[in-house]
Amino acid sequence: MRKTTDPTGRSAHRRTEKGEQMKDILRRHFVAGTLGAAALALLPLAASAQNASTIVVAQAADAYSMDPAKHSAFPTANILFQIYDGLVSQNEKGDIVPALATSWSNPDPLTWRFKLREGVKFHNGEPFNAAAVKYTLDRALDPNFKAPYYSRISQIKSVTVVDDYTVEIKTDKPFPTMLLSLYEASFPALIVPPSYTAQNNSADLAAKPVGTGPYRFVEWKKDERVVLEANPDYWGGKPAVEKVIFRPIKETRTRIAELKSGGVDIAVDVPPEDMASLDGGETKISTVASDSLYFLAFDITRDTPLKDKHVRQAINYAVDVDAIQQALLNGMGTRIALTLPANAFGYDQAWKPYPYDPAKAKALLAEAGYKDGFTVPLMTRKGRYMKDSEIVEATAGFLAKVGIKVNIQYLEPGVWGQVSEKKGREGITFPGWSGRDPNLVWYPLLHTGEYQSYYSNPELDKLLDAGAGTIDQAERKSIYEKAAAIIKEDAPHLPMIQPPLIYGLDARLTWTPRPDGMIDLRKAHF
Amino acid sequence: MANFLISRLLYAAIVLLGVSVAVFFLIRIGGDPSALFLPPEASIEDIQRFRHLMGFDRPLVIQYWDFLSRATRGDFGMSLRYEQPAMQLVLERVPATLQLGGAAFVLSIVLAVPLAILAAANRGSIIDRASLLISLIGQSFPAFWLAIMLILLFSETFHMLPPSGRGSWQNLVMPAIVLATYSTAIITRLLRSSLIEVLQSDYVRTARGKGVRESRILLSHALRNAAIPTLTVIGLQVGALLGGAVITEEVFAYPGIGRLAIQAIANRDFTVVQAFVLFMAAVIVVINLLVDLSYGLLDPRLRTGK
Repeated sequence: MRKTTDPTGRSAHRRTEKGEQMKDILRRHFVAGTLGAAALALLPLAASAQNASTIVVAQAADAYSMDPAKHSAFPTANILFQIYDGLVSQNEKGDIVPALATSWSNPDPLTWRFKLREGVKFHNGEPFNAAAVKYTLDRALDPNFKAPYYSRISQIKSVTVVDDYTVEIKTDKPFPTMLLSLYEASFPALIVPPSYTAQNNSADLAAKPVGTGPYRFVEWKKDERVVLEANPDYWGGKPAVEKVIFRPIKETRTRIAELKSGGVDIAVDVPPEDMASLDGGETKISTVASDSLYFLAFDITRDTPLKDKHVRQAINYAVDVDAIQQALLNGMGTRIALTLPANAFGYDQAWKPYPYDPAKAKALLAEAGYKDGFTVPLMTRKGRYMKDSEIVEATAGFLAKVGIKVNIQYLEPGVWGQVSEKKGREGITFPGWSGRDPNLVWYPLLHTGEYQSYYSNPELDKLLDAGAGTIDQAERKSIYEKAAAIIKEDAPHLPMIQPPLIYGLDARLTWTPRPDGMIDLRKAHF
Repeated sequence: MANFLISRLLYAAIVLLGVSVAVFFLIRIGGDPSALFLPPEASIEDIQRFRHLMGFDRPLVIQYWDFLSRATRGDFGMSLRYEQPAMQLVLERVPATLQLGGAAFVLSIVLAVPLAILAAANRGSIIDRASLLISLIGQSFPAFWLAIMLILLFSETFHMLPPSGRGSWQNLVMPAIVLATYSTAIITRLLRSSLIEVLQSDYVRTARGKGVRESRILLSHALRNAAIPTLTVIGLQVGALLGGAVITEEVFAYPGIGRLAIQAIANRDFTVVQAFVLFMAAVIVVINLLVDLSYGLLDPRLRTGK
């Protein structure tokens, strides 16, 4: 302890007049000096928490690239969504609303015509127009460009400039979820400025992004921070908060400590057990049920007891999902009746999940010839989703009570991918999914032969094909109503919960989280 | 000396080659990053198309040869996630890690050497026992746990230090303490026991018999001899500090190479993991070489290889 160096020297960059005067005294009084240095050091900490013109967001990872078409990570997308806009956007309720496009129409089922917002400029002064839309989509649709999110826009066959502010997007087949492929969570659909992007083979854009968004790029210190400043000319009005800083903090405890000590204003992914300690005083909690889906999927492609509908129904009766939601998620999130977000297209609030009825489950198992139960593997990943392993283990406990013994296998993410590619998921799985339309959920998960599907039902296939083949929303609604009845009865899944997204906030901050998990700071203010 | 150097350099080249084989094939055991990199709804065709575009579908031996021949020319490939040269990503973060590792290294020497000397000089005393206890605790505390405890205490409770980031000296305090704990413990323990051993040797008895002052015996006669085994361990500790930085950097969100490596492993960003492991291996090889050479400075008998 005695070897302390001159304390004022170490904090020279914060040296004040007072500090200068203190210097001599400190030299003579070593112990006091050490304390003094600590006190001086504390001042800036307290000061940063009081800054109401800056929002600091702490999320798990840094940006990988500033090029929206070149990444596949949500933390990156959250940063880029402040800098760029898409043709359409999503509001806090989850509705698709105009953004760089002011309106759209379908002259025929294969054509989407967008009227574009006039007078919008990119941060570097380039004009936004139909050519920019065409350039953006053509660039990401070029297979050699290797856009990771290519599959989200690959249904687009051509983009045509009709006039400066009208653009037509054509598809080979009807594409009912086109708008969900053009809003901000479809990463390569964020519009980039053609001239600037073409420079240096997009390397300039990847390092110093230029968009039309509410915030302009200032600085990116890798793994440390991304700094953005308000764009006074934003077409949606200048944002209320002058400056935004995104900081990557992987460790949950550290994010919470930063929030509590005033270092950040928004901390993502707060665990349910920490909510109580953050709700009140200088911090508060904000949650929303996400678009994600927790459910168990049953493999019926192999010859196991799961092939029998009665067994699948029995599992639905055997697990008390409400109790799991209450115990592990503090009752947050939304209980779902079918594997589809309750705010998705076609979801009927009248749908009811199977009730918890272990006696009925046992009876169904006996009927199927499994009076003494059976053993089945349960494959999942650990830590992929909030509380996933806890939920899986609680489920196993409920299943054990009706005689079904599950062998839980936790697969490392890479191995999960390898197994999936070989169609190797066996028994019960907890795969997780998301999507705001049956065509984005039921088609990939339940249509015969799809990569993610371990189920087959020709009758359902016909309906899912029909739903994918028309853009007539009324027609789709009636198609999916029929599909829902089949899914409920045949029970290819045990639908569980739309888990919550939990954010810790500075108590003075007004900001609303979105179900899709994208962070939108356009309307945030203190 | 020249022969010694040449043999050591050859040895270094073989070590690095072995490390390159190990890291190249080990990280690929769990599959390639195509499925992790694409969105969940990507079809099997999408994944295969991407895999082909990235060249991950070529035979592993050919991929390795490609990697090795480029690496010998200083090209470690592009990061899949960052689309930047992998070695550049690693080197960009070296100053931050060096700063943290350096602070921890200095801290552990400054704490361990005086503590060991005091303990050895007062063998069996309270100080000695305390030093043993401190090194036991220091070696048994998991870095992760200690880091969280410090954050809870100094950031959440007292608001004295920032829990994460880099920029001011305050950001270094907690990570450096965490990182220094283990090496302080191990250096204290080792230096103490070698000092005790040396203090019982004949030449120390002779020196005492001649009436040399005890402090001079300790600091000049004994310390220099006791330093040789300790130096080996200190050399190893530099490696441990860099390795320990992986966890410490992650907890304190400190932008160094350890954090880059963890993320790259999770993402299967092969080129970055390769660049990181080879960089670390090279650093440790060089440090071991320097330690070997420094023996000569401390012990004249080793200088000519007699």
